[in-house]
Amino acid sequence: MGATFVVTLREAFEASLILGIVYTYLDKIHARDQYRYVTVGGLLGLLASVGLGIAVGFLSGPLLDLGPDLIAAAVIFFAVGLLTWHAWWMQQHARAIKGQVQHRIDEARRMQRLWIVALIAFVGVFREGAETVLFLWGLMSQATSSSGWANVAGGVAGVGSAAALGWAIFRGGVRLSLPRFFAVTTVLIMLLAAGLFSGGVGRLQGLGLLPVTDPLWDTSWLLSDRSVVGSFLGGLVGYRAQPSAFEAGAYAMYLVAAGFLLFGHLFAAPITNGEPAAPREPVARD
Amino acid sequence: MRRFALLLSTAAVALLALTAATSPAHAQTEIALTIEKNRFSPEEIKVKAGAPFVLVIANKDKTPEEFDMQQPRIEKVIPAGKTVRLRMPALKPGKYPFVGEYHSETAKATIIAE
Repeated sequence: MGATFVVTLREAFEASLILGIVYTYLDKIHARDQYRYVTVGGLLGLLASVGLGIAVGFLSGPLLDLGPDLIAAAVIFFAVGLLTWHAWWMQQHARAIKGQVQHRIDEARRMQRLWIVALIAFVGVFREGAETVLFLWGLMSQATSSSGWANVAGGVAGVGSAAALGWAIFRGGVRLSLPRFFAVTTVLIMLLAAGLFSGGVGRLQGLGLLPVTDPLWDTSWLLSDRSVVGSFLGGLVGYRAQPSAFEAGAYAMYLVAAGFLLFGHLFAAPITNGEPAAPREPVARD
Repeated sequence: MRRFALLLSTAAVALLALTAATSPAHAQTEIALTIEKNRFSPEEIKVKAGAPFVLVIANKDKTPEEFDMQQPRIEKVIPAGKTVRLRMPALKPGKYPFVGEYHSETAKATIIAE
């Protein structure tokens, strides 16, 4: 039971984090009425997962050998792109809010923003969804004994705990002040996306599209990828006990590039109201 | 936004093209691996270092299994009763442990490249 709990906890944790981010984001921009975009996106992701889970049972030959891997790799990089885009938007938004033009911005941007929120929810659920579906399905088909049912219970509890964790993390986020929430979430999304990106590069190595390199280090004696804490950190910030040079390099490169994109303005000229500050004049405080 | 979508689809096409280009038609060494009663057999597989090979994994169980290697990172679901040809990259000499993620207490094996 414990083993199946850890498997589904690990598989579902990232999805719940991503859903947590987008729900809380909508809450923060006072667009709770738009939750349904996320819900529909997530449900479609679940449907697609079940669909792929069923399809895999019917596939054979090259379609089964390579198809799911290519989909998985594509979905990972797509997710990285979407998350980065979303973080960048939030940054813009946060700066605009400081300029007290929130309403105008909201109205102008709401419509074109929401499809991306739905897509993020879809991708977040679909990414590990098919694997989780197959795993749970396998458990249920074996559930003829009491230990079999305990395994099913463990698997379901794992998904539930992942959902609760994601919810708790971002429920805490609701209490933060708006600029701080955006800052914290941006950093979290950056780390999450960096982990995804490096994981995607690792998969390309596994597929033989990039050369295999030695692990740069091995901290599995300290914190194994398969432990509960290890999988938690793996989902949250992309922790790997034995990263290859490509994986570690991809992680670092992503952080530098995204950091520049998202926080570059902090190192540029001082900014007020989203525009470069004119030569300094005394500013009236309100 | 449209440019962003274009960029993504270009990347996807490039990825597919790259995969097609790296799938050589000539035969690679094939090594049979069986999953039965949530165990791999054989549990020790010797391969030639420096040459890619193909693991032909037959899952004889009634439950799916996931081949899961940490380094290099390879994950592959093998549905119940199915056989999957898993193309493995060239490995340097060394030991490469892997597990069946769905039954990791029993399904453990190692590839030895030499």
